[in-house]
Amino acid sequence: MLFNSLTFVVFFVVVVALFWAIRSWDWKKNMLLAASYVFYGAWNPPFVLLLMFSTLVDYLAGARMATEERPGMRRVWLVVSLVANLGLLGFYKYGTFFAQNMEGVLVQFGVQYRAPAMDVILPVGISFYTFQTLSYTLDIYRKQLAPAASFRDFALYVSFFPQLVAGPIVRAIDFLPQMVTPTPPRAGRFAWGMFLMTLGLFQKVVLADTLLASASDSVFRYGGKLAMLDAWAGVLGFSAQIFFDFSGYSTCAIGLALCLGFHLNDNFRFPYAAVGFSDFWRRWHISLSSWLRDYLYIPLGGNRHGASRTTINLIVLMFLGGLWHGAAWTFVVWGLIHGFYLVVEHTLRTLFGDPRFFSTLISKIFIGLATYAAVCFAWVFFRAQEFGTAWRIVESMVGVTGTADKLLSTRELLQVGIVTVSLLTAHWLMRDTSLENVAARTPKWLIAGAWAAMLFLLILNQGSANAFIYFQF
Amino acid sequence: MHSSTSSFERTVPALPWTQLAVAAYLLAAVMSVAWELRVRSQGYAPTLNDTTDLWADRREAVQPDSLVVIGDSRPLFDIDLDALEATLGKRPIQLSIAGSGAFPILKNLAEDESFKGDVVISLVPAMFLTPGGYLEQASMDALRRYKTRSPSQRASHHIAMFLEERIAFLQQEDLTLANLLLDLDIPNREGALVPPRFPPYFHTIDRERRTRMADECAIIGSPMQKAVIASWQRLFKPPAPPTWIPPEVFAEQMQNGIKARFGQTAEAIAKIRARGGRVVWVRFPHTNWVKEMENIGTPRAQTWDVMLQVTGVPGIHFEDYPELAGFDCPEWSHLSGPDSVEFSKRLAPHLKRAFEEQQGTLVAPKS
Repeated sequence: MLFNSLTFVVFFVVVVALFWAIRSWDWKKNMLLAASYVFYGAWNPPFVLLLMFSTLVDYLAGARMATEERPGMRRVWLVVSLVANLGLLGFYKYGTFFAQNMEGVLVQFGVQYRAPAMDVILPVGISFYTFQTLSYTLDIYRKQLAPAASFRDFALYVSFFPQLVAGPIVRAIDFLPQMVTPTPPRAGRFAWGMFLMTLGLFQKVVLADTLLASASDSVFRYGGKLAMLDAWAGVLGFSAQIFFDFSGYSTCAIGLALCLGFHLNDNFRFPYAAVGFSDFWRRWHISLSSWLRDYLYIPLGGNRHGASRTTINLIVLMFLGGLWHGAAWTFVVWGLIHGFYLVVEHTLRTLFGDPRFFSTLISKIFIGLATYAAVCFAWVFFRAQEFGTAWRIVESMVGVTGTADKLLSTRELLQVGIVTVSLLTAHWLMRDTSLENVAARTPKWLIAGAWAAMLFLLILNQGSANAFIYFQF
Repeated sequence: MHSSTSSFERTVPALPWTQLAVAAYLLAAVMSVAWELRVRSQGYAPTLNDTTDLWADRREAVQPDSLVVIGDSRPLFDIDLDALEATLGKRPIQLSIAGSGAFPILKNLAEDESFKGDVVISLVPAMFLTPGGYLEQASMDALRRYKTRSPSQRASHHIAMFLEERIAFLQQEDLTLANLLLDLDIPNREGALVPPRFPPYFHTIDRERRTRMADECAIIGSPMQKAVIASWQRLFKPPAPPTWIPPEVFAEQMQNGIKARFGQTAEAIAKIRARGGRVVWVRFPHTNWVKEMENIGTPRAQTWDVMLQVTGVPGIHFEDYPELAGFDCPEWSHLSGPDSVEFSKRLAPHLKRAFEEQQGTLVAPKS
């Protein structure tokens, strides 16, 4: 069920009312677990079984690892968890991709092979909850976490509906302790949660879907050569759209969890004001980048074994990061471009350190804008359905297409321009602070007015609820 | 080892959030009521939105022996379900989609082995025969929703219908923020390939997808009637061919696609006929400039006549029957609400005869 759907409005009212009406903490959690399965099953009921299977395997693996002293057996249980989770992910997400590529490879060797059509539907959110449950077993294996107190608590951790399908990817270390003691109701926290939900929905429905999607969709669907202005508008439009779409979901999730008394970590921290690429990944999809850092990059050796090993680790990290987003080579190339950026940045830092002039505001802004431009360039490969489209747009962006088509209306160009400038300004103004700090300093009348305006614009945008972009991952 | 305690707690800014929430929701409610009053004063009334969910509801209602109407906006506006039911003995299921090419719907019915009912197909040649593009996409979108909609989408649809029948500003074709922005009069760059805006609000629709032209639109010279006519003039200009395909190649592709479409249509109809189903083509009234444009762009001899010959099923062309030919379309393409009832009463006996002609004449599907 989408946050921006009418079904969710009813679901939310019922769940929140029940949650605060029920006295028993155990029954509150039981109700939340049932609600989470209803929430997930509202897409495709049979996939709830998949979620339960993943939950059961990891709960058992975690419990056995926690009591098992023999290193070999602990490793066996970890492998069981990895195979079950990555096996499901591999089958549902990468099966067709793998089969198609296998066909292509065999043809190169003169073997005509036709892989059977798999017609697999990707269970929504599988990449998110797979990584979430893996963090649990990996942390227990590394003896950094005690197993969940009960199967119900663990199942609720895996399926907690506010962040189940598109993150933030929550670590058990952060979430399980919140299940131990009941949360007392607090009206202020609840209302702040509602504000965050409104803000998140506004980002998604008004900014991403209404003001930006048409320009980026038109540009990335177009088969011809584009005027430079249109190509840039499409790419900048998508850069802003994907931020508002994904950040909007995360903000909703955080707000929704707060309404129920749970606390989730930030997933975005004004990423388009990043100065450099490692800074960008500390601000963009933080729960995924920190997951990859903790469970992949650091175990691979991180930057502790010399320049060439660091380069390989960064490339492997971003290759897998790209593949996590989708079973297509365009995602892989997007990841590799970011890997290349990180390697270049790491090399420059190794060679030159952090010269003092880099800390001046002017140079920060200059590097920040260069980072933003490079990130936008990479988005071309992320958004394009195939490389032909990506190259065509890149050519149009650098103006080497000769005669080209003006595709977008002046209104669309204005929408992209105004939203992009506002977005960059806001990120730069807020890059070293937080939304909470800014809200605390804002006049009350302004908050109430902005909140009402966002609500009204959401009401004006009733209708077809578009899925969040990250649902497909 | 972490176990049972957490120091992590999000900060809640120190403001009176409960009062702020009450103020914000009250203000938003006031703005919504004001907006509702304003759009009602402009002539808008509560009506359902013709969404893919509404269409999917009707597609799900199709039984093996149903009478189904498919096509573009003309059968949607011009067919009165009560009038047809009175004569034909079956209540039609309205599956026409405004601004669509109906071939994918016909194909879907042909591939539905359980379906052996009756089909009325509207033929607007430029829409039905054009392969691909946004016209067919409209049908494909509806079919996709029918095949894949989730329990959550169904529930949202039912809640939305409840609200749309009561609140005028929930009209999606004109009054969403995206469409209000489209109304801004901002000149485009010279040569920009910006598609024309679809006609503004001029109809209401119910749960059976019975569609009626808004009363104001039926008044000759009214602002709404003029606005719809102006939009036809923009919409009926053929879209510019793609610039990345040489014009002669594109023209050849289109010709081949249209030629193939005749064959594909015959094949689909033969499948329905082979199961005992019956099919009738209908050309619905259109007048004035729209008629002139259609006659020039898609002459009857090369489209309607060929389609009847290729598919081997009867057709009812409004111009062939005096009782069907005399209707005036206020905005040149559709009948007014009252005229649609009268037209349907007069059309029904012709449909009955055309269906009866096919009684017991099963045909083998074309391979």
